[in-house]
Amino acid sequence: MLRLTQTLTQWLEKGGAEIGEVRIGVREKEFSLCHRDDAGREDLAIFHGPEAARGLSNLDDHGAYRPLKSAPNLRHGWALFISGIEALRHALDYFYPAMLGVWRSHEMRTLSPVPLRETLERQTGMYAVTRKITDRQAGAMVADFCRTDGGCLKRILWPLAPGTPVPSLPVEKTNAFAPAGVMPLLCHEACNLLVARAREVVKKGEHLA
Amino acid sequence: MIYKPQSALIIVGHGSTVNPDSSGPTFDHAEAISRQGVFGEVCCAFWKEEPSLRQVFHMVDADEIYVVPNFISEGYFTQTVIPRELELDGPITTRGARTIKYCEPVGNHERMTELLLRRAAAVAPGVSPSETSLFIVGHGTDLNDNSAVAAKREGERIRERGLYAEVLNAYMEEAPLISDWDALSTQPNVVVVPFFIADGLHSYQDIPVLLGIEQEPTAAASQREIFRKNPRSLRGRTLYYASAIGAEPLFADLILEQVEAFDLQHSTIPAF
Repeated sequence: MLRLTQTLTQWLEKGGAEIGEVRIGVREKEFSLCHRDDAGREDLAIFHGPEAARGLSNLDDHGAYRPLKSAPNLRHGWALFISGIEALRHALDYFYPAMLGVWRSHEMRTLSPVPLRETLERQTGMYAVTRKITDRQAGAMVADFCRTDGGCLKRILWPLAPGTPVPSLPVEKTNAFAPAGVMPLLCHEACNLLVARAREVVKKGEHLA
Repeated sequence: MIYKPQSALIIVGHGSTVNPDSSGPTFDHAEAISRQGVFGEVCCAFWKEEPSLRQVFHMVDADEIYVVPNFISEGYFTQTVIPRELELDGPITTRGARTIKYCEPVGNHERMTELLLRRAAAVAPGVSPSETSLFIVGHGTDLNDNSAVAAKREGERIRERGLYAEVLNAYMEEAPLISDWDALSTQPNVVVVPFFIADGLHSYQDIPVLLGIEQEPTAAASQREIFRKNPRSLRGRTLYYASAIGAEPLFADLILEQVEAFDLQHSTIPAF
């Protein structure tokens, strides 16, 4: 298996330039990153080094916390300069945690999507109740919470249950296809935020019952 | 000093979906360890944030992976959630070519007492411990969480040293409550050290309200322009409120020492 930095290098050599909302420019082994909406702007605040990516990815344009890094609300107005491929890997893991590695696993055919039912079944403590969610409730919840427009940019690779896809998701949301130069953000298992939302849905249903 | 350039270190934190500072110290310690070059790869994983426990193994190349929970105590997360989510079989898990080594949580380290004393001294410079009540504040909860037990253990260890006029434990959610700090203590100076991993929701936003420093929870530390000042004159005392113990930079050393301790405990002694 290619190492992560080799995977990233090859992707860049083939014209890779965008991951999520981050645009990557390359000159020699120097990389410049910015919000894709800001490409070409010359009034950006300048940052250096991968560790700055943590702060840049933590709050949105309004100063609100971004617990979900793949939400389409990356802040604007910055440019980040990075030296070396290892540092670029480090920065990308702040902007889009684990997405390079998950994509590599997908490309190597070693990524195993986990059905939502399996994720919910193994929960304990305050989240044990999530297994009570109905298929209908789950479908509506995912269509809303994970929607690309305003929810999450990731593509959902997991089914509701083995052989049962999540209903009501557009086709483009459920495959790993990405245009040339774009690394797709792939979701191989429901995140804790979605599990927490499932708890709210079940609790609300119980309350209304 | 350990040196494992072929291995990866994963530091696991709780994280938060509401507070932007909860994961900060865990990332800080990871960056500090990464700069030392002790491990080939260093990354973090969280229960409530990304990268998640379900994603993190995709982020590393190494076949030997050490996992250190950045938690204040053994309990529900270290004994149930982390092993379940990482699919661990025990202290050592073999999965294909990979070996995953699950270390003790940082809060179990015996040098924790030293760090608490250091933090208490730093927040109240020049203040005589013999005229000071020191509070070690834990969460306290009905979950399978031993944070209160760990805070009590540290309180006892500090008390045994006889430095402070009194050493007290108090909690957010069980008696003795930290909100009663003035009734519980007798000294003119009161130093409060939160036994928490980060200045997140509890130690930065909740406890100050319980102490009476704030009337209602403020915004998170990173979202405020004004930082808190010490000391405060409150309820007839001089109150010093420290930042969470987990923000102490020496925590990075303790994480590495938990790896070292794991190797010592699980080393195989060659037969003669």
